[in-house]
Amino acid sequence: MANILLFTDQISQGYIILITGLVIVFSALLTLSLFFQHGLPVMLYLYKIITKGREKKIKDIKVEADKEFTGEIAAAISLALHMYLNEQHDNENAVLTIKQARKLYSPWSSKIYGIQNRLK
Amino acid sequence: MKKLIILFSVLSVLLFVRPLLFSTTNSPDFNNTSVAANETPQEDGESFYSDAFKGISQFYQYTGFANATWGNIIMILIGIVFIYLGIKYDYEPLLLIPIGTGVILGNIPFVPGNQTGIYEAGSVFNYLYFGVVKGIYPPLIFLGIGAMTDFSSLIANPKLMLLGAAAQIGVFATFLGALYLGFNLPEAGAIGIIGGADGPTAIFLSSKLANGINLLPDGTTVKNLIGPIAIAAYSYMALVPVIQPPIMRLLVNKEDRKIKMKPPRAVSQKEKMIFPVVALLLTTFISPSALPLLGMLFFGNLLKESGRTERLADTARTKLIDIVTILLGVTVGASTQADIFITKDSMLIFGLGAISFVIATMGGLFFAKFMNLFLKGDNKINPLIGAAGVSAVPDSARVVHAEALKSDPSNYLLMHAMAPNVSGVIGSAIAAGIILSFLG
Repeated sequence: MANILLFTDQISQGYIILITGLVIVFSALLTLSLFFQHGLPVMLYLYKIITKGREKKIKDIKVEADKEFTGEIAAAISLALHMYLNEQHDNENAVLTIKQARKLYSPWSSKIYGIQNRLK
Repeated sequence: MKKLIILFSVLSVLLFVRPLLFSTTNSPDFNNTSVAANETPQEDGESFYSDAFKGISQFYQYTGFANATWGNIIMILIGIVFIYLGIKYDYEPLLLIPIGTGVILGNIPFVPGNQTGIYEAGSVFNYLYFGVVKGIYPPLIFLGIGAMTDFSSLIANPKLMLLGAAAQIGVFATFLGALYLGFNLPEAGAIGIIGGADGPTAIFLSSKLANGINLLPDGTTVKNLIGPIAIAAYSYMALVPVIQPPIMRLLVNKEDRKIKMKPPRAVSQKEKMIFPVVALLLTTFISPSALPLLGMLFFGNLLKESGRTERLADTARTKLIDIVTILLGVTVGASTQADIFITKDSMLIFGLGAISFVIATMGGLFFAKFMNLFLKGDNKINPLIGAAGVSAVPDSARVVHAEALKSDPSNYLLMHAMAPNVSGVIGSAIAAGIILSFLG
């Protein structure tokens, strides 16, 4: 590197660095963006296949297996679900807070002058 | 209050009496010091007064008042302005206040030779400055930035990464400008990185290239430009809200400013975890010289996204980065000691730095417009986010957001602007690596 610097003009060296530097920065970020645009979805898909097996489509599910499953059973299940879900009560916040109400002092409501407090 | 005044007056009396007592008991010691005390002993009364006077003048020689130069005073004023800007206008106070205080600390006049100044070997500041000179602090800051940054907007829309690359034209254009102004290659490289708008990267690169130690091919040493470069980079970063909006308004017309981008898709945790690993491998294989920066950046991000190391990520993004920022800010500020800092080079660097920010912003904006030529329908990007391609995380993204809100109060660009913003960090680190591999 030092030899090149000695024998060439600084400015022309600068232009070389300018062009190559920009090209490298662009290509680096371009590769990165291309990878995340196209490479990553493929990788994630492959990972899914490896870990869980191919996704089943609706036509892959055999009808024969569900011969026993009649409309009546379905109706019964959905009724049960409906009743169960309607019974739900929304959860309330169980925390009780006692809010201190600010009251202005008034002799009319003062405990000092209450009935229990007879004058002696 | 009364007690305080009494205490203060007692202390001040002691302060004046001390050199006096000192001089009467062992006067030979005084002969060594700058104030000559080699008069012949006289009568008791007279010698008491003359010794007292000598002691006071001796004390005065050590004070800042005697040693102050105009440079010191100017720099102290600049430090106060920095602190004022940080407090009053909230321009990056986390940076400007430590740096401003550092500028004051570094410019308190002192007598050389007592291991006080930041450039004197063995002084405390010199040890703290070591982290700047050897480029230790920047990677630690990057670790924290990595642990803070959410790359999901970038993963959702990877093409925005190119905007981060486009803004790096500022780096290389400034590099060329510095060459034309007569800086030699390594110095010009270090100055150019100011255009990366990334303080830690600028310090890292200047500590490698323009550190005052390296030898040039013709046998001379490079200049020590770490101080001016760091100050320029940080002060322009703080001034992003001032520099960028006029350029945005100039280059992007009203209709384009109103473009609404469709919200980024949801990114799965798996993708977020894969990102730091893949990006680390790809970028460091391309530009290995940027390894300390990019390695720590993506390491920090992995700590954040892995979901198992929340404690480490939390430390990195809060305590660790705070500690390093404090040390970095104060030492970089203190490195502006007037006799070393106020030179023609520093002024040139400040000029170049401003130009480089402008060019970087323009590069990002133009490239965003250029990308829009190829994009259709709701895939179009708002050209304003190109300006966020200069790193300056997260200030430039905020500026973009604010600027878009001005032309359409329902256009929220912050998420979109974060994508070029973080890719700008990656881009400027890669650019630093390239310059380092060419010139290091």
